[in-house]
Amino acid sequence: MKHRDQTGWFFVAPACILLGVVGLIPLVTIINYSFFEIFTLQSRFWIGTEWFRDLITAPRFWASFGRSALFSTFVLCIQIPLGIALALCIPRGRFWAGAALAMLSLPLLVPWNMIPALWLSLMNGDTGILGQWLAGYGWPAAWKDSAVLTWVVILAMDTWHWTSLVVILAYSALTTIPDPLYQAAAIDGARPWQVFRHIQLPRLQHVLLMAVLLRFMDSFMIYTEAFPINAGGPAEASLFLAVDLGEEIKAFNYGPSAARSVLYFLIVLCVAWVFTKVQAKLDDPKPGVP
Amino acid sequence: MIPRRAWPVIKLGLLGAFILFTILPLVQMTVLSFTATLAQDGLSLGETTLRNYRAIWADPSLRAAFGNSVAYVLINIAITIPVALPAAYAFARLSFLGDKHLFFSFIAFRITPPVVLTLPIFQLFSVLGIVNSVTGIALAHCLFNLPVSIWILQGFIAAVPREMDETAFLDGYSRPRYIWKILLPQIAPGIAVTAFFCFMFSWVEVVFARILTTTNGKPISMALSAMFGFHTDIGMVMAFTLTSMLPGALLLFAMRNHLSRGFKVGRV
Repeated sequence: MKHRDQTGWFFVAPACILLGVVGLIPLVTIINYSFFEIFTLQSRFWIGTEWFRDLITAPRFWASFGRSALFSTFVLCIQIPLGIALALCIPRGRFWAGAALAMLSLPLLVPWNMIPALWLSLMNGDTGILGQWLAGYGWPAAWKDSAVLTWVVILAMDTWHWTSLVVILAYSALTTIPDPLYQAAAIDGARPWQVFRHIQLPRLQHVLLMAVLLRFMDSFMIYTEAFPINAGGPAEASLFLAVDLGEEIKAFNYGPSAARSVLYFLIVLCVAWVFTKVQAKLDDPKPGVP
Repeated sequence: MIPRRAWPVIKLGLLGAFILFTILPLVQMTVLSFTATLAQDGLSLGETTLRNYRAIWADPSLRAAFGNSVAYVLINIAITIPVALPAAYAFARLSFLGDKHLFFSFIAFRITPPVVLTLPIFQLFSVLGIVNSVTGIALAHCLFNLPVSIWILQGFIAAVPREMDETAFLDGYSRPRYIWKILLPQIAPGIAVTAFFCFMFSWVEVVFARILTTTNGKPISMALSAMFGFHTDIGMVMAFTLTSMLPGALLLFAMRNHLSRGFKVGRV
C-alpha cells in the first residue's frame, strides 16, 4: 500500500506551476473574454452569455459538431482494431520487432502541415503513385467533388498518420504478458481467438483506454491536417469543429473565438470525466474474479 | 477454422501490407524530392536532379529554420524532463490528497486542442516578451509534452521494485538524494524514451509554432509553409520535408527496442 501523506505535493509543484502558466492562465483568460464584446483590449463591454447563445443556436455549429463526431467514430472503429491487430502481428524476434515498430512510426515524424500536401501529391491523378494506380480502378480524377471520396482520403490519411501510436501502446501492453500464460494456454489447447480474448485483451484494457482517449480527442479536434485536403468542401462536407475556431482566431474575433474555445474545453472536460469513470470501473475488480 | 500453421503467414501478410501503405507516401515524397518540378536552371520538368537539395543547402533561411527547430526542441526537453521527473515519482510512489484528480487534470491539458489556447498564449507570451523566439515555442509545447512525459516516466518508475526505496531509506538516503543517486540510473532508458517522444510531438507541431513566430524564430514547419505560394516548387518542399525527417528517423531506429516500453500501465 502506498504511504499516505502530503509530501507528494512538493514533488508535483513544479509541474503544477508550469501547466498553470501555459495552461490554466490562458484558460482563465478565454473564459473571461467569452463574456465580453471586445473591439480592442482596452474597450470592451460585458454582454453575458450572448456569444454562447449565438453559438449553440447556430445550425452551422451543430452540423460541424455532427461531422466531427462521425469522423471520430470512424477513426476509432478503424484505428483501434487495426492497431491491436498490427500489434499482434509484430514478430517475436527483438530485431524485427524493433524494425517493424520503427517503420510503422515514420509518419509521426512528418511535419503536420506537410501531411495534407503529401497526400494531395500522392492522390494526384497524373503524377501521384496512388492516384495513377486508383485511376485504373475507376477512381475519378475529380474526387474532390464527392463528399464520400473526400472523407475516404481524409480517413486514409489519418489512419496512415496515427495508427502507429495505437500499435506502440498496444504492443507495450502485450510485452508485459509472461510466457507461462501462453504455455498454459497451449497445453489447454486454446484457439488463437481464445488466447486473445482471455489472455491478451485483459492486459490491453488500460492502455487501450488511453489510446481511445488520445485518438478520440485528437481526431475530434482535427485542424491542421483535414482542412487543406479539400478546403472543407465539397459544400462544407469536410468542415470539422476546429476549423471555425481557427478562422475566428485568425480574424482576431476575441469574444466569439473565446466563447467557442470555452465550449470546446467543456467538451474536453466531459470526455476526461467519462474517461475517469471508465478507468475507475476497470480498476475495480469484478465480483467473483480474483 | 483457420489451420494453426496459416497464422504466421496471415500475420506477416497484414503487417507487410500496412508497412507498404505506410511507406507509399514517403516513397512519393522521396521521388518528388529528386525531381525538377519547376522549369529553371536549364532543367526541364520531370528531370531527375539533386538541385532541390542543393537549393536547400544554399538557402540561409532554411538552415536557420533547421537550427531553430533543434533549439526549441532541446529547450523543451530541458524544461520538461526535470519538471516531469519528480511529479512522475510522486504519482508512482506517493499517495497524497487529490492525486488522482491532479493526474486527470494533467491529462485534460494534453487532450485540449492547442488551437483553443493559441490566442491567450500569444497574448501572455507577448507580455512576457518571448514571442518570435524559440523559448516561446518550447514553453508552449510543455502544454502537451509535460503530461505525456509524466505518464511515461511514472510507468518506468512503477516498474522499479519498491524494496529498493526501502533499503535506500534504511541506509539513510533522503528522498531527493535517493532519486538522484539510485532511481535515475535505473530509469535511464525511460528518460531517453520520454525525451524522444517530446522531440517527436514537438518537432512536427504547427499550431503554436505558427502563432508564436510571426517575424522571427521560424521553425521547419513554418519555413515549409512559407515555400507554398504562386509558384510552389513542390520538389524542393518535399526535399526539405525529407531532410527534416532525417534526425527523427535516426533517433527512431536508435530507440526502436525501447519505443514500446514506456506505456506499461495507464493508471496511477
